[in-house]
Amino acid sequence: MDVNVSKLTKDLGKIVGKDHVRADKPTAVVYAKDVMPWDLEEKNIPYAVVRPLNSKEISKILKYANEKLIPVHIHGSGTSLVGLARPKTKGIVLDTARMKKITAYPERGYFEAEPGLHVAQVRKELAKYNAMLPVFPGSELVATIGGTVAVNTSAHAVDAALGKPGDFVLGFEVVLPTGEIIQTGTESTRRPAGIDPTKIFIGSEGLLGVLTLIRMRLIPLPYFEHIVAYYNTTEDILDAVMAMYKQGIHPPLFFEYLDERAAKIGFEAVGLDEPIGAVAMMRVHSWSKVGSEDKAQKFLEFLKTGNPIEARIIKDTEEWNSIWSSRAEAGNYMYRLGTTFGSEISPRVDKLKDAFQEAKSIVTNLESYKDAEFISFGHIGAPTIHAYAFIPTKDISNDMKKAITLEMREKTEDLNIKYGGCGGEWGLTAQRVSFLKKKYEKEVYEVLVKMKKALDPNDILNRGNLQGWI
Amino acid sequence: MDIKESQTVRNTLLQEIGKCRACRFCIDVCPAYQASEWVENMSPYGRLQILKYLINGTLDEDDPLIYSIYSCLQCGRCDRLCQAKGQNLDVSHLIRLGKYLLSQGLVKGSKNEKV
Repeated sequence: MDVNVSKLTKDLGKIVGKDHVRADKPTAVVYAKDVMPWDLEEKNIPYAVVRPLNSKEISKILKYANEKLIPVHIHGSGTSLVGLARPKTKGIVLDTARMKKITAYPERGYFEAEPGLHVAQVRKELAKYNAMLPVFPGSELVATIGGTVAVNTSAHAVDAALGKPGDFVLGFEVVLPTGEIIQTGTESTRRPAGIDPTKIFIGSEGLLGVLTLIRMRLIPLPYFEHIVAYYNTTEDILDAVMAMYKQGIHPPLFFEYLDERAAKIGFEAVGLDEPIGAVAMMRVHSWSKVGSEDKAQKFLEFLKTGNPIEARIIKDTEEWNSIWSSRAEAGNYMYRLGTTFGSEISPRVDKLKDAFQEAKSIVTNLESYKDAEFISFGHIGAPTIHAYAFIPTKDISNDMKKAITLEMREKTEDLNIKYGGCGGEWGLTAQRVSFLKKKYEKEVYEVLVKMKKALDPNDILNRGNLQGWI
Repeated sequence: MDIKESQTVRNTLLQEIGKCRACRFCIDVCPAYQASEWVENMSPYGRLQILKYLINGTLDEDDPLIYSIYSCLQCGRCDRLCQAKGQNLDVSHLIRLGKYLLSQGLVKGSKNEKV
């Protein structure tokens, strides 16, 4: 494609103002780089980065891109772990960072936020209204609300306890790939029954439109109680999760685990004494203080019917904060000690133990790298296992990083297929088109392609993500 | 700085920046990022990426690059953040080293002998 970058910059400058379009290479590489372990290639580096202020400007940008047939890649904060944020082709990066308005309407029961706000900023704003944001990504300091809803990620929250962010979305303002601005959903707290285009855009990962306003229900802040449980082995935790579903016990809002190795790393990172084995930590919620205490007590009693070394309710906020942060720090410190290659395995609950054992075997028998160490943690109550291949050095070539990433991806995809899962956190399309094709009938992928073509005939938005390009 | 010293600085920078996980947690605390209306190459993360791609030859020295690197105020907020939530990199020190390298005009492939 022959693009005159200086003309492109000038044309985009007429839409957003010349201060908000940048075509210099330093800006381009920074916006192209994401968490994927291997380096950028020339094809990933955009012609220009454009930073619109509102839906009208986005509409004009998309109409212009359709006229010139230039792809547009949407950028929130670039924290997606599986390649969603890295442009697959040269094009325009559309950064939503200037779109940061938020208004709460307690009298209407909802708030409206623009997509560029960071999740932590939304949470802080909602706290003024004693409301809870039902989104809990580990990267909430920087991940955007637009990206979170566009991926519909549950992150820490157990789906069976709360649902996904999309379950709380009442409506959107969306700019379609061809530039039309549309409103979806309702301004009532009653969500539409039947066909509702809102649902098409939830989790659409920027393939079907740009979310420019997100209307979400205000959820009164519940009461929380916290539990920690220490086990000899991770298998004991898996038994507890399987029993929880089988016996119909109410799942906690958070149910996280650190395996034996991750627990040592995480606890050391936050200055706690080394635990004997694996650790599970839970947060339960209820709409009354008495309710949350009762729920915690009942869940503790349930845990004690299993095989914990110790399980107890934590009342001291400081103690809970350090135990909870050990979960986040385990990932950080693992990366400080070497290089990690992650995966997301969400099997059918009754197959949790089988999936865990096979994930372990995949990591310890990698063909692209011998002697990788298996470390795992994750949102086990959901259930999600993050199985990591840990390599205790940073000195790995770019090609090797790519090979390990792709092998881990392919083999854990097969595991998800074997055990009936498909992941529920990191987003599917950007990296996992091959997974979709393997898991479902070919018509399923064809439906997605037709849907994309109906809304985006020139394949302008996030080109390559639905094709499976890397 | 002689050639040998510049090589050592380049290697140190590549090695240390290689530890960055691209979590981007450091961007929000940077006053230059906030003042630029949230342009990511005016953030600590952005500057580290620019230095990496400058040293490995993907980028040539040019004015926007120098502007991004020199927009660092050396306030050290990113260091605290990286220590607490990231990879414990001495980010502001690395940016200072990068500035030093730039100012010596010793970056490989540099068009500007002296900046």
